[in-house]
Amino acid sequence: MPSGSFARFVLLVFAWLACMLFVWWFASPVLAWPISLLAEIASRVALPDLVQAIEQHGDKITFVTSLHGANATVAAAAGGLVSDDIDVRHFTFGLPLLAALILAAGAPHRARNLLIGYAILLPFQTWGVIAEFLEDIAVGFGPGVASQTGFSAWQREVIAFGYQFGALILPTVVPAVVWVLMHRRLLEDFVRKRAR
Amino acid sequence: MVRFFLWFLVLQAALFGLELTPWAQQWFVVPWTNTLAAISAGIVQLFDAHVVAHGKVLQSASNGFAVSIEAGCNGIEATIVLVAAILAFPASWKRKLAGLGIGIVAVQGLNIVRVISLFYLGQWNFSVFEWAHLYVWQALIMLDVLVVWLLWVRTLPQPNADLPAVVA
Repeated sequence: MPSGSFARFVLLVFAWLACMLFVWWFASPVLAWPISLLAEIASRVALPDLVQAIEQHGDKITFVTSLHGANATVAAAAGGLVSDDIDVRHFTFGLPLLAALILAAGAPHRARNLLIGYAILLPFQTWGVIAEFLEDIAVGFGPGVASQTGFSAWQREVIAFGYQFGALILPTVVPAVVWVLMHRRLLEDFVRKRAR
Repeated sequence: MVRFFLWFLVLQAALFGLELTPWAQQWFVVPWTNTLAAISAGIVQLFDAHVVAHGKVLQSASNGFAVSIEAGCNGIEATIVLVAAILAFPASWKRKLAGLGIGIVAVQGLNIVRVISLFYLGQWNFSVFEWAHLYVWQALIMLDVLVVWLLWVRTLPQPNADLPAVVA
């Protein structure tokens, strides 16, 4: 990939990113389904005492908990069960970035790479969704709800770190890493041509 | 390649964890964010005198609209990713320091464009502001990091025989 090609590649990424953001926006409810499924499996395995059910409403995933609302300001009527709506788009916007990078690179097997990339992103997106839910019940909904979770101080610290990492780093870094791993040959060419 | 990615992940997690500590927040993140707001206000004042910065807030004195630069929008996370990628990659310290200096300026430069653009988008249309804030600019900043890192890797002297091993 010589310099001219690299500039062309960057411009193509911008163009594809604009297209892919629109596609992703409208496809979000469908794309959220596997995340909802993974979140449900993870919750049943790791949080059976906290989560009663997981429901998907469009691009929102609702965690219905077994926790009781301490007051009417949290996501439940006072005394009712707390539920938490998570916007899946907050954790999936790296998908259009990955799609734009794959399509702009023009390497063979683009459709296959898109599918593989999508599958690799899913667990990280699920991480973000679950981490936000945990952060909400451990911290965000206040001490009345947090006290029912049984989380210790260090567990709340881990949850806060996991949430921040899942929200601020993973959504964009994982697509970039996946793309680099998928296009090693292209990057070797890019570096080699400069070295000559 | 495996060693690079392992180091990249470890450095990234360590730097991010460090960023979240109260000490780093007090002595680095808050001053950095306030400086970013002040620089953004200084640039905007070149063509719009009614804009002021106080702390991490950029505000229009004419209509009261304000944006507060929060975590994720101060460019520190993007900088952490770039720093981790450059430090993890095999290169001399001289090259790494040069890459860090130029790279951080490039990332923060685009981040100032992000802050200023969001400030005006928010005054124009809040839905567009939300779209740009939550999704478009996040992707563009990471793209900036990736491009800067690729260009830096390209500047490294590569003995031809070792080249594939270093990159791959």
